[in-house]
Amino acid sequence: MVGQPKNERFLRQIPLIGEDGQEKLANARVLIAGAGGLGSAIATYLAAVGVGYIRIVDEDTVEDSNLNRQILYHEQDIGTCKVEAAKKTIRALNHDVEVDAICRHIDEMTVREFVRGTDLILDGMDNFAARYILNRAGIDEKIPFIHGAVNGFYGQVTTIIPGITPCLRCIVPNPPTWKRSLIIGVTCGVIGSIEAAEAIKYLTGTGEILKNRLLLWDGLRGDAESIQIVSSKDCIDCGCLTNEQDIRRFRL
Amino acid sequence: MKVSVKAFATFREVMDMQLALDVLEGSTIRTLLAELTGRYNGLNELMFASPGTLRDFVNILKNGRNIHFLAGLDTPLDDGDLITLFPPAAGG
Repeated sequence: MVGQPKNERFLRQIPLIGEDGQEKLANARVLIAGAGGLGSAIATYLAAVGVGYIRIVDEDTVEDSNLNRQILYHEQDIGTCKVEAAKKTIRALNHDVEVDAICRHIDEMTVREFVRGTDLILDGMDNFAARYILNRAGIDEKIPFIHGAVNGFYGQVTTIIPGITPCLRCIVPNPPTWKRSLIIGVTCGVIGSIEAAEAIKYLTGTGEILKNRLLLWDGLRGDAESIQIVSSKDCIDCGCLTNEQDIRRFRL
Repeated sequence: MKVSVKAFATFREVMDMQLALDVLEGSTIRTLLAELTGRYNGLNELMFASPGTLRDFVNILKNGRNIHFLAGLDTPLDDGDLITLFPPAAGG
């Protein structure tokens, strides 16, 4: 019910993250880059958990072919701007969330204004060219970047902390191209939910984030495994960073 | 010497998820892939665009470091190495 005290809504999660953790979520500002299948799962769970400010950026309009996976939208939204429809869904779920809906393209020219003023960047993009732009902006602005991507029943997630962990280019130096782009909603749900869980853990200091680890999800076999990953000083995006300052900055 | 190989995502459709191999001293990623493509039907076509050139989605990690930052296919193998074959998903 609107106006219900928040401690009622969050009663069953506060023991997991603490009153102070809940407060940290309420004060957190996150960027969700892309309002597709991943962005839908991320936005839904971050709004539900009580993140206070969500900036969501996507230039597309809702199409019928999106509805197999983009759970922020409904049939009546077809033809409308995704981020405006997303804002309605998010606010209907939790009216305390401030939503900054930006219907624009993310490129080298625009990315800085989108990432500035946020605590965290979440990956909801559908191509590596855009992901490299976010990866670089996160490094330059010292903002962690939670990477996630899907392909059919497969997906991967890692949490990139500038100067501390490998960046996206360290793991995948060249953009992969796939002949067929296949996508099914459940994989977006799994990977987007893991990204949201990473955000919650990072923002509240709970548990262990996927730091220096790449989680690979195999939905066909119901199997997940995380492998150690190592950064490279020769990486064109993060190779020049100094560690000690960043370790202090992120208190890791 | 012994190395372990782990394969993920679409690579699992043509090869085992993980295996341990005995390789000769002086082996490289290139000789390891020759062994694997000889062992598994369809792996060569999946991994290589042309002889000696990997497809752009083929990422190979040696103990977590991409061989792009080592010596590529000529990266030498050491006893106990974990080699990860990883085709990153790109959709969203």
